[in-house]
Amino acid sequence: MEEETKQEIQEKTQEKVKSKKSFGEFHDKNYKLLLLIPLTLFLFSIIYEINFYNQHNDFMKKDISLTGGTTITINSEIDANTLKKELSGKLEALETREIYDILSNKQKAVILETTTNAEETRKVVEEYLGYSLTEENSSTEFTGSTLSKNFYNQLILAMIISFILMAIVIFLIFRIFVPSFAVIFSAFADIIMTLVMVNLLGMNVSSAGIVAFLMLIGYSVDTDILLTNRVLKGTEGTLNNKIYGAFKTGITMTLIAILSVVSALLIIRSFSEVLSQIFTIIFIGLMFDLLNTWVTNVSILKWYVINKQNKIK
Amino acid sequence: MKKLNFTWKIWMLIIILLISLVSIFGLPPRFLDKGILITSVDQNSTAFNEGLRKGQIIISIDGKKVNNIEDYSNIITEKLPSEEKIRLNIQTKDTQIILFTNTSPEISVSNLPKTNIKTGLDITGGSRALVQAKDVQLNSDELNDLVDITRNRINVYGISDVKVLPVSDLSGNNYMLVEVAGATPKDLKDLISQQGKFEAKIGNETVFIGGKRDIQSVCSSPTCSRISSCDASSNNNNFCSFEFVIYLSEEAAQRHASITKNLGINETASGISGRYLDKPLDLYLDGQLVDSLLISEGLRGSVTTQIQISGSGNGPTRQDAYVNAQDSMKQLQTILKTGSLPFELEIIKLDTVSPVLGDDFIKIIILAGFAALIPVALVVFVRYRKIKISLALLLTSFSEIIIILGIASFISWNLDLLSIAGILATIGTGIDQQIIILDESKQGANLSIKQKMKRALVIIMGAFFTGIASLIPLWWAGAGLLKGFVFTTIIGITTGILITRPAFTDIVKKIEG
Repeated sequence: MEEETKQEIQEKTQEKVKSKKSFGEFHDKNYKLLLLIPLTLFLFSIIYEINFYNQHNDFMKKDISLTGGTTITINSEIDANTLKKELSGKLEALETREIYDILSNKQKAVILETTTNAEETRKVVEEYLGYSLTEENSSTEFTGSTLSKNFYNQLILAMIISFILMAIVIFLIFRIFVPSFAVIFSAFADIIMTLVMVNLLGMNVSSAGIVAFLMLIGYSVDTDILLTNRVLKGTEGTLNNKIYGAFKTGITMTLIAILSVVSALLIIRSFSEVLSQIFTIIFIGLMFDLLNTWVTNVSILKWYVINKQNKIK
Repeated sequence: MKKLNFTWKIWMLIIILLISLVSIFGLPPRFLDKGILITSVDQNSTAFNEGLRKGQIIISIDGKKVNNIEDYSNIITEKLPSEEKIRLNIQTKDTQIILFTNTSPEISVSNLPKTNIKTGLDITGGSRALVQAKDVQLNSDELNDLVDITRNRINVYGISDVKVLPVSDLSGNNYMLVEVAGATPKDLKDLISQQGKFEAKIGNETVFIGGKRDIQSVCSSPTCSRISSCDASSNNNNFCSFEFVIYLSEEAAQRHASITKNLGINETASGISGRYLDKPLDLYLDGQLVDSLLISEGLRGSVTTQIQISGSGNGPTRQDAYVNAQDSMKQLQTILKTGSLPFELEIIKLDTVSPVLGDDFIKIIILAGFAALIPVALVVFVRYRKIKISLALLLTSFSEIIIILGIASFISWNLDLLSIAGILATIGTGIDQQIIILDESKQGANLSIKQKMKRALVIIMGAFFTGIASLIPLWWAGAGLLKGFVFTTIIGITTGILITRPAFTDIVKKIEG
């Protein structure tokens, strides 16, 4: 019986090697062409963002935490739609949503966001509810518009500095231009594609959302470092073998991350806007990371290594 | 039994893990403690005078065990309030206190915390304000003065559990951050945003202003500060007057003398009760006239250091007016004691978070954490098909959470939502790196396991330094409100690189032989 299984395993590995080989051949022929997919997407993203910037005078739609305004959470079972309908005339740019406890599926609270200031908003809401808002039955968060503007600029600045620091570290690790550039370009493509997706979905990005973009820098670079390290510093096996090895590890990493983020998102979604936005952005980013690591980065790196080999020959 | 043959790296992980557990739960573990915690005691109350203090733990009352706040309120409501004073025998952890009272003790209590983990305002509730000077940019000295004065005011006012900090951001803006845990004092906004410019004038001449230079002391004890009278002026409008005594400095008293010297007598206001000077002493608070005091003839030209200040409060009912007068009095006393600020203030962010949803929040976060771990366990097991390896990976990640929480408890870091996001992010990268270690251990048949681990380490160090580099700017962005995220993530990835990753490498070496 043991021999049988051994044989089976052997057959399986042979099959695997075969399919690996044929995919390897396909990849050898077409890896430059494959690069066109992410490049087209990248180009589209850049054009979309420029267009978006011209229309909205900004890179993304921002929520109250970045534009300034008031958020009131009322711990009561109030219908969000009715609330919105009733108060829209009195409060500027009003948005409402409900908060649920996923276990009991019971509504816990209703949240309303408006650009009107806190005192005015509280007055309007209290008038509508017929009772006064206390800290037992509600939360009020107010951010002034100068502060939020400042906040936003700082976050963008922090993000640019982060990205530059990350780029420097990558150059220091690999000390070769093309592979380092490939890693940095992939990370940049991740961020810009995620941003476009966020805009296409019509999300209003909060300060936590921008932090998520920052987390994305770290997450997306991980697999790129792994790949580049295996390909440049690995000692045995063909180029394709090294890439495939890195792919197996990297895909496990990203798959785990994606599944974890999605499961956490399903639970937290109805409860915390802050955490769900972070998870949603990371999820989108990880999806694009699959493309940018295993197509963009792989193709540039392969091109570079083959070119170098040819020169040596 | 197999001999435990752990390397020092594995022992280090185990020891640090144990220390972290002690840091989180305390020794002996806090969840074994019985009783309730006193969170505040009204000053000048019987409870306070008899020695009850914030932070004490009540174990029993009149011999009945108090394990939670329900027990406490059951015992108290059964006995109080009563017609006659009763004897209440309160046993705290350290002492025994006996109260004779006919009302409930003037204390607030809460259940004992089960761990040393502290959660942030956005989870447990509380308030936070970010304050900035209007139209001027404060330098760091001015900011520190502002923070001192505000701390002082808050102390005088008797609010506990308040943090006042100077903060600055990436572009050099300076702010004052005020955080109050738990219940929010209702006049917090006034207390921190008020410039508190107090001036006492006769005509256009300033006699004295608030602060140490002109005012030696302000009496706030019941003997010389009180609500003197209450009147109903019309329907739905009641007035209560307050008065208290202040003592002027010699210099201010001299000024009073020289200004009053030349005043005449106000014939119309003078009557049987006495004769008054023709100009009153006007009290201004932040430019608003609060009260005008008639000066009796006897004080003309005299160097008097003792002055009685008065004012009033109003409200729809007598009770409201009384409370309002009391608040106004306290506010005025605070300002006279602490002095005014040389600039106007503006609250640019004010959050008041209800504590009601806090418990649900923690429940949901723990649930989400477990939900995130299930796919990890599944994928790892499907991929490697080895129980031992998969368990080692999960346990190492789990120990990382414990260590982060341990460090946070040790330095009393308040974990807010973004800190939690940071912990989740760290665990994510941690698992990723462990997978790199596992896969490197299988790569390259002709390399020794040591060499393989070295290769894994290069990749991990690379990821670590890019991580740190990308986090650092965020520490200063957004007036420091994002520090929680940066803090937990840096603690997390550093713990990873120094403790858990090396230990995991050794565990893999052991398992893989």
